[in-house]
Amino acid sequence: MKVITLDTSKCVGCRNCELACAFINSKETCERKFSMIRVNHYIEEHAVIPMTCLHCEDPWCMAVCPSGAITRDPETNAVIIQDEKCAGCKMCILACPYGNIHFDAELMVSHKCNLCEGNPRCVGHCISGALNFEEIEDFNERSRKKVDLEISKYMKQTCKTQEVDSNGK
Amino acid sequence: MKAVIIGNGAASLAAIRSFRKYDKKSSITVISKEGGNAYSRVLLPYVLRGKLSYEKLFLPFSDKLDSLGVTYIEDEVLSVDDAESVLKLGKHGDLFYDTLLIASGSKALWPPIKGICQPGIYHLWTINDLNRLQIEFSEKKEVVIIGSGFVSLQAAWAACSRGLKVTLIEIADRLMPLVLDVRGSGLMAEQMSKFGVNVYTSTITEEISKREDGKFFILLRDKENILADFIIVGAGVGANIDFLKDSAIEFARTIPVDNYMLTNVLNVFAAGDVAAGPSVFGDEHVTHALWPTAVEMGKIAGANMAGQNIRYDGSLNMNVTQMFDVTVASMGKFNDADIDDYYVYDAESGKGYCKLCYKDGLIVGICLVGTSEAVSLLGKLRPIIRNRLAVKLPPAKLDAFLNVRFFQK
Repeated sequence: MKVITLDTSKCVGCRNCELACAFINSKETCERKFSMIRVNHYIEEHAVIPMTCLHCEDPWCMAVCPSGAITRDPETNAVIIQDEKCAGCKMCILACPYGNIHFDAELMVSHKCNLCEGNPRCVGHCISGALNFEEIEDFNERSRKKVDLEISKYMKQTCKTQEVDSNGK
Repeated sequence: MKAVIIGNGAASLAAIRSFRKYDKKSSITVISKEGGNAYSRVLLPYVLRGKLSYEKLFLPFSDKLDSLGVTYIEDEVLSVDDAESVLKLGKHGDLFYDTLLIASGSKALWPPIKGICQPGIYHLWTINDLNRLQIEFSEKKEVVIIGSGFVSLQAAWAACSRGLKVTLIEIADRLMPLVLDVRGSGLMAEQMSKFGVNVYTSTITEEISKREDGKFFILLRDKENILADFIIVGAGVGANIDFLKDSAIEFARTIPVDNYMLTNVLNVFAAGDVAAGPSVFGDEHVTHALWPTAVEMGKIAGANMAGQNIRYDGSLNMNVTQMFDVTVASMGKFNDADIDDYYVYDAESGKGYCKLCYKDGLIVGICLVGTSEAVSLLGKLRPIIRNRLAVKLPPAKLDAFLNVRFFQK
């Protein structure tokens, strides 16, 4: 199963992902209001965070939708909203704890990331490698290696200190 | 094991799916009094407005009950014999159960007004009401709406969008007290006036009578009387629990349940509009009669009927809709009596009127008459309110905090 992963330490805040997403969704413009991915800038906190739908395992938006417009695509595993079924009641926007569902004021329906049918444009246009589209297992592997590295660094550090300590005696 | 569910709505469908997750074999029987496929009452005003087509009312899986191994019976439950675990049905005789879920929902009530029960006066609560109102909407010109709850205002919006002349009468001094605070209500009333709706608050309807020309004559106390071609009434709902009269199942206006959706009888659960369950604010028994609460309760009840032991953290009331070109939403506590501090976002935030409410230093609720973008803030606040997390930040910084929080381990 492939998912979009975010490495916030790599994001440079160029907002290319937003432009790419806006274009594929609107078919004609790169205006950011059409984008499903949103890069949030926090100057004081020194943080730049691209946020897009996480396609939760047990999506609350899907459970709560009163018109059954939200389903899971069996091929891409994406949680998708069917325009023609959406009543525009915004219950899903209220349900999403990450703020990743948006409202299309022209069609009066909710909109969200659909993983571009398995070829997410935001990832394709990411210049810094912050966004990746990868097997969840690969991501876990990377996370594990990262943690391993941290631990081994820490171990080295403690061993050295212990050596110094014992020599000093 | 034999599981039986009374009702075929949000709570019931959520319960079926959750039950099947844990138990693929046991039989499930659903009893529906209303009949037909399960549909979404929430969507009736949207169909009336013409935003959704009729067939979109029906819930996913409502026509696939067979595939979920559900036996569907259209019948009325007359009584419950909880000692023998048997239901008495109108046409189908006795039905035995091992585990029972009462999810029979609620019905719209008639307020005590003289002449309220006559042809031409409707609720907007069932598919039947919708069908009859569709005819009125296309043939008539003037409608009076009595009551200003969520459904009433959406009915007003539907009538307004379809070019009818709308008058709204509310007995209380403001609109939607369960959804908005005082200022929010005021803004909503202003917004409706802009769309040409006559809004009467603090107005008592004394009597409704039909004139010879077929028009309704509505007598108001201390105000000039008004005329209407037809009338829609939204004056609250009451639980469908008449069949519990002779059973040992405890009930008042609704059925009190514990955190496991269990009633006082060991193998009887209740969920949705009929149930009064725990709230996130520590209340023991609260009935919201809201869609999301019904889904949550149904999910818990279904799992526990299948032998799980899943505890419900309590319900959090939430409402949202778009009408008269604004988004109206609220969550938790927002009325002045329930809070001790609040913050109203300024115009620059682009939210519209958005009030964040505090009690004892914790965020307990929020209400909004504004933009659709602001609704996502409510979504992000839901876990904060639910888990009673203290946020020691000025409210203007809250958005940033909520977005960054997710990445902090």
